[in-house]
Amino acid sequence: MVAAGVVTPVGLDLDAFWSGLLAGTDGLSAIERFTVNDLRVGRGGEIKKLPPVSAGVRSRAAALLIAAAADLKTRASLDAAPERIAVVVGTALGGVEELERALAGDDSPRRALDALYDAPAHALADWLGVRGPAITVSSACASGATALGLGADLLRDDEADLVVAGGYDILCRFVLRGFDALRSLTRERVRPFDRRRSGLLLGEGAGLTLLARERDAGGRRLGRLLGHGSASDGSHIAAPDPQGRGLQSAIEAALQAAGAGPGDLDFVSAHGTGTLLNDRIETAVLRRVLGPRASEVPVNSIKGALGHTMGAAAALEAIMCLLAARDGLLPPTVGYEEPDPDCALDHVPGTCRAARPRLMLSTSLGFGGCNAALVLEGA
Amino acid sequence: MRVGACAAAVGVLTGWGEGVAALPAEARTAAGGQPVIRLTRPALDGERFRRATRECLLGVAAVQQMLRDAELSREAIAGPRTALLFVTAGAYGASNVEFIAGRAGTLHFPYTAPSALSAEVAIEFGLTGAYVILIGGPTATVDALWQAARLLQEGRCDRALVLAVETFDECESLWRRARWSLQAPLVEAAVCALMVPGADRGPVVGAGQNGALEAEVQTRAGSTLSCGPLLALALARAAGAGAATVTGTWRGRRAAIEMTTTGPAVRS
Repeated sequence: MVAAGVVTPVGLDLDAFWSGLLAGTDGLSAIERFTVNDLRVGRGGEIKKLPPVSAGVRSRAAALLIAAAADLKTRASLDAAPERIAVVVGTALGGVEELERALAGDDSPRRALDALYDAPAHALADWLGVRGPAITVSSACASGATALGLGADLLRDDEADLVVAGGYDILCRFVLRGFDALRSLTRERVRPFDRRRSGLLLGEGAGLTLLARERDAGGRRLGRLLGHGSASDGSHIAAPDPQGRGLQSAIEAALQAAGAGPGDLDFVSAHGTGTLLNDRIETAVLRRVLGPRASEVPVNSIKGALGHTMGAAAALEAIMCLLAARDGLLPPTVGYEEPDPDCALDHVPGTCRAARPRLMLSTSLGFGGCNAALVLEGA
Repeated sequence: MRVGACAAAVGVLTGWGEGVAALPAEARTAAGGQPVIRLTRPALDGERFRRATRECLLGVAAVQQMLRDAELSREAIAGPRTALLFVTAGAYGASNVEFIAGRAGTLHFPYTAPSALSAEVAIEFGLTGAYVILIGGPTATVDALWQAARLLQEGRCDRALVLAVETFDECESLWRRARWSLQAPLVEAAVCALMVPGADRGPVVGAGQNGALEAEVQTRAGSTLSCGPLLALALARAAGAGAATVTGTWRGRRAAIEMTTTGPAVRS
């Protein structure tokens, strides 16, 4: 993982994102871009002003990706033949806002094609001028993790020399209405793993990394993606498996691919949505996986700061892990104050903590019983 | 790269009927001007399917069809050693339109996610192995075949189901706006290929034949988007070919995978 670029509610580039996470910034605010008056909850991690590079881009989803890519390109150049550079991005929503527009009367042919979930990935590939595979993963909120994994596989199989991989999603009325109807959104603060947690808030953003084979990365790198794994719950259309079996399988597969064991892990970036069910199940899985070291390994969630950025979440969390290893600082779990006996782990409360993790685990879960895990190593 | 994977069975449902034998010689003529050749909602038993959408049921029915083709029981694919790779360009569109229009109940929202379809399949057949969902047309299916072969090669699964589903009827007016990029007729399809470890080496179709099956699928089936490469595999198997070059084109990009039905696969 050579470099990264982001656009998020706590910062419009990588440096601002990282500073915001370390400072414990709360990026959640009243939503201004679309009508929320008829919804129970009208707050989220909204990006109030996109960087100028996005001007003129047809959809907000593509604009987020391009903003993150522009940030990435300030840190690394794409030195490979265009047909040998791939794009792999994860998303839960793709171009769904364009579908709303198309149904609302915009009958242009382009609007209809922009409504397909793979449209933003192709817009990104076109903006980058790359001609390799352009892959869209949509395993709900686990999409970003699987996208990073597939990107690494393309390199391993020599299908590409460079891969721009990550995830994105936008806050739009479609998704806010959906989560509002399911009563998954909190009217209070997002409090991952906290005793008083009462739900999630959604956020928007994009996180992209530049992946290269070890021999091509040169001296500059953020870290390494050592392994990835995925698994299906096969239990419920929307709720996670009560025992978290799919998540555990994904973690074990990622560790096996990395050639590592639970005892090697120094830090976990949890999915940690702040819902009653997710946080309890995820804690139980992590306690099983980590075993006797469960209370020693720091486990944070950055969703209290950003909201749940869906397809972007895993990519942003992977980037956070690598920055933590680089700088020797773990961002706190914003909103976590009162321990819950059902979520008994070291959740990095309060302020950022000095620690220099080497091997890190990032976990993701999504609608449809999607589970994914990444094992990362700092540079 | 050669990877040991082969398509051991393919279950085919299209608007023309069951199996590739149901495909007409010329889809455009057979369509008689109809823009969409629709698949009916499968009549599947069980209370659990009461809320499931048509596209979800089509996914389940395609897997059932594949099991019949493979002469396998559903127990044979259950568990963590079966990977599921689902591909669609737009099967989620019907649910999204319903939700946006406010015609669906509050519990409908999870069905707007592309992963809802594969979730229903995973639940029905007890699939708990590796899980990948890709969005796009034929190139995405080639990518899924490649990923399936990779999972098999690495020993991460014993078998992989590559499932593609496309529905058009509920969003026909939207697809019609993009008709400059799609050939008529649009043909709904649900196709599932069973991928298993293959022999070390096997006959591979030469590069000069790239696209022949793709053209045959387009001519005989019509536009089936992500289902096209799997229909190509089914046609190759029906013809008794030991190998097939499966190709796809989507949004100006091309992908190809050379795949034997009895031996290894090669992606290009």
